[in-house]
Amino acid sequence: MRSHLAAFALFSAVACANAASLTVTVVDDAGKPLPDAVVMLEPTSGKLSVKPMAQVDIGQSKRQFTPRVTVVTVGTPVNFPNFDTVRHHVYSFSPIKPFELKLYAGVPNAPIVFDKPGTAVLGCNIHDKMAAWVVVVDTPHHARTAVGGQVRLDSVPAGSYRLRAWHAGVPAGKEPAAETLTVAGSDMSAQIKLPAGLL
Amino acid sequence: MSWLPRHGRVAAWRVWLAKSLSARIVLLFLGLLLAVQAASFVAIRATIDRNARAAIGADLEVGERVLRHVLEQNARQLTEGATLLAADYGFRSAVASRDAATISSVLANHGERIGAGVAALLDTDFQLRASARTDAASLQPVLAHLSSHAGNAKHAGEVMMVDDKAFQFVLVPLRAPVLVGWVLMGFPVDQPLLDQMRSLSPLHVSLETRRNAQSPWKTTASTLPRESRKALEHQNTIAGDSSLALALPDGEYSARGVSLTLEPDGPAVSALLMRSVDEAVAPYRQLQFGLAALTLLSVMVFGLGSVLTARHVTTPLRKLAVAAERLGAGDYATPLGGQRRTDEIGDLAQSFEHMRVSVAVQQEEILKLAYWDGLTGLPNRVQFRNAVLEAIAIGKADHRSVAVIMLDLDRFKHVNDVLGYRFGDLMLKGVGERLSQQTVRNGDLVARLGGDEFAVLLADIDPASDLSHTGSLAQRLHQAFSDVMVLEDHTVDMSASFGMAVFPHHARDVDTLLNHAEVAMYGAKRRGEGPMLYDPSIDAASSQTLSLLSELRHALDHHELRLYLQPKLALESTRLVGAEALLRWQHPVRGLLPPMEFIPFAEQTGFIRMLTMWVFEEAARMWRVLNEGGVRIVVSVNLSTRDLMDVELPQKFEALLIKHIVPAEAFCLEITESAIMDDPQRALATLERLSGLGFRLSIDDFGTGYSSLAYLKRLPVDELKIDKSFVLNMAKDTDDARIVRSTIDLAHGLGLTVVAEGVENAQVWDLLRDLSCDEAQGFHMSRPIPAHEFAHWSSGWAARHSALGAKGLVNVNVTLH
Repeated sequence: MRSHLAAFALFSAVACANAASLTVTVVDDAGKPLPDAVVMLEPTSGKLSVKPMAQVDIGQSKRQFTPRVTVVTVGTPVNFPNFDTVRHHVYSFSPIKPFELKLYAGVPNAPIVFDKPGTAVLGCNIHDKMAAWVVVVDTPHHARTAVGGQVRLDSVPAGSYRLRAWHAGVPAGKEPAAETLTVAGSDMSAQIKLPAGLL
Repeated sequence: MSWLPRHGRVAAWRVWLAKSLSARIVLLFLGLLLAVQAASFVAIRATIDRNARAAIGADLEVGERVLRHVLEQNARQLTEGATLLAADYGFRSAVASRDAATISSVLANHGERIGAGVAALLDTDFQLRASARTDAASLQPVLAHLSSHAGNAKHAGEVMMVDDKAFQFVLVPLRAPVLVGWVLMGFPVDQPLLDQMRSLSPLHVSLETRRNAQSPWKTTASTLPRESRKALEHQNTIAGDSSLALALPDGEYSARGVSLTLEPDGPAVSALLMRSVDEAVAPYRQLQFGLAALTLLSVMVFGLGSVLTARHVTTPLRKLAVAAERLGAGDYATPLGGQRRTDEIGDLAQSFEHMRVSVAVQQEEILKLAYWDGLTGLPNRVQFRNAVLEAIAIGKADHRSVAVIMLDLDRFKHVNDVLGYRFGDLMLKGVGERLSQQTVRNGDLVARLGGDEFAVLLADIDPASDLSHTGSLAQRLHQAFSDVMVLEDHTVDMSASFGMAVFPHHARDVDTLLNHAEVAMYGAKRRGEGPMLYDPSIDAASSQTLSLLSELRHALDHHELRLYLQPKLALESTRLVGAEALLRWQHPVRGLLPPMEFIPFAEQTGFIRMLTMWVFEEAARMWRVLNEGGVRIVVSVNLSTRDLMDVELPQKFEALLIKHIVPAEAFCLEITESAIMDDPQRALATLERLSGLGFRLSIDDFGTGYSSLAYLKRLPVDELKIDKSFVLNMAKDTDDARIVRSTIDLAHGLGLTVVAEGVENAQVWDLLRDLSCDEAQGFHMSRPIPAHEFAHWSSGWAARHSALGAKGLVNVNVTLH
């Protein structure tokens, strides 16, 4: 499958003193908005300080992870409360955070702390159909697309950034290259096209 | 029959067939049966052939479906196994650990568990990450193929070649929980699979592989026996062809190639399904054998049945034929049998039996007629002669004597005439009984030879006393006849003449013995005394008589007979009115013979009819001569009994009349009463026809018979001739004179002319004339004179008569004497 990267940004004329907001729309090859895509903005140089988020829950309800896609910052502890009557065996073979919560009901004793950036794929050893993704980011400018495939990143200081988008349907290695953009105090918007297949 | 030429054998066979009804029946039945069986056999064979081929085709099609099903099944199993593996947490952990050695060992372990020959882990791009048992190079073509199809579900279970071996591959995704790679499992397609096929179907399967389109097919596995497998390898035909025929050492096969690989040009795997034609046809063969056996059985049953049926028909026929032959041979006593059957043959037997019975009855009747006398129940002449013949044969052998006593009733004819035939018959019966009573000796035989003639056979007599024994028995029989016989209130005084002849004294053979007894009997009759023993002296006379017949014939042919005429004169006018034709025989040795010498004999033998004809014709000729000479007379001709019995007599006379141009009125036919009385019906018929022709009829010798007046009245007669016995003495005997007178009156009363014969003197002439008798005939006027002299006599008589008148007759008479 030929990888097709078509990301471009539209720069608005609205200027902002030091900070601006960035609206990003994520679409698939056909131009359809993609929900549950993760958009992140990273400075081209240096590293922004990022704090672990307060405890995040990825619940299991009706034999589904909910939500299916979660964005956390590095070091964020994630809890896996089980709302089903059956037990689940949540695992991850992802290199950023392999773990295993053997058959449990209710809330496990301790949350899982995702201390490396990257994506962890979670599954349930009991229920093959259950899958969830935890995208661990190293930047405070990140968001998950809703149904309309749009996110808005606020208070982005002016500067040069790499704009990336992640989606579970994009096969490994098929991710488009990050788009570099410069935030200059005014609000901007951008569109990212992802070769997302069916999950 | 082997020595016969071929066509001879065929002919003999045909003859046998033509002769034997049963053979034809059997042959027909069997022929029809065989024809029907042959037709059904051919039809069944054709159907079987078609069915067998169709069945083989169906078997092969089913086989292909089974094979595909088995492969699918295997694929499913394999998929399940691979899926289980892919879902195994430990395996997924191992894969996640990226520890190649661990992954390989897990693959090997799981592969072994489900019997996979190949187990490999591919990444999401179908690149080999780890494998068990196989190296990456070998799998490369497979991976290339898979990557091009990207795990399309359609290709699950595809067969591919790895290291020249066929494998069936399945590919299942490995998810953790998203797709992280593929698990590839290869299941060897080899002998166990073929064996499984073999166990599921009647087919043999061979697995054929080749590296590419150009390389030859190679047999990698087969369920065929070793030799056939080798032969198959050599044939190198196969595999794309949908169907083909194979001749292998263990028989003929129909085969169908089933391609298991999808790519046409690459390494190919093909299964060759083979159906043994022999095996497929075997059940039908059995059916055919069964049919053949059934045919054989039915031929036997039919054969037996038709033989029995034919026997049932022909055996009674043959029996009937034998019985009919028995009938033909004269055995009418044995019943034929076979009538109990109710069918046509039974009817036939019944008819045969009826025929037998009626033929037997007829035979008996014929025998009776042939050998027995119907009236008296005594043996007849034939049987008597046979008995004498036998007795003489025995007598010759045993030196015993045989005697024959022959007897003849005296005056039996008179008894018949007077008392009637019925009475005559009763008398003959009585005589038979009387004779039988007298001959008590065993072996003696009484027979009626015919008429009033009887005979007695005395067989097996002592030669020492043969003549005396015979004589005494004859005497006793003679005595027995002297007693009167009382029959129906009539007392009859009987007598018989007895003649005897004894073997070996008087004859050496049967006919001579009988003849001599007869001769002796006639001798006794002539002599009028008791029984007479044969003596050669009396035989001389009898042989004279016997030769008379031939002499008479000779006389007729050689003009030895002479016609004489005796004039008949009218008493009133003394005129010549007629003449009686009489016969004389000018015998070359014995001189002129009077009628008494041969007429009785001629009457006995029937020769009299020839004589009557001769006399009639001569008389006709003579009448014509006389008539032309002016002598007008009626010629009287005597008819005998035998003449009257001849129904053709009137025609014969008529023919002669025409021949000589003479009117019937020129003749008067004289018949004696007794001649009429023998068979009055027939005689009357003849007389009426003669009268109808115009002949005058006269009753001759009237007064000696017993005819009633009523009867006389019915006869178509014109004339009565008074017997000369009354006329001769009428001059002296007043009784005779009265008879003559009353006869004349009677005749005149009936309107008849009266003729008196035997007028020998003038006194009688005068008496007769006084009694108004019409005509006279006798020596007084003239003896019979030769016909040729009659004209002369006539003119002489006329001359004298006209000169002398009636009175002068006496004188003329005197001069004539």
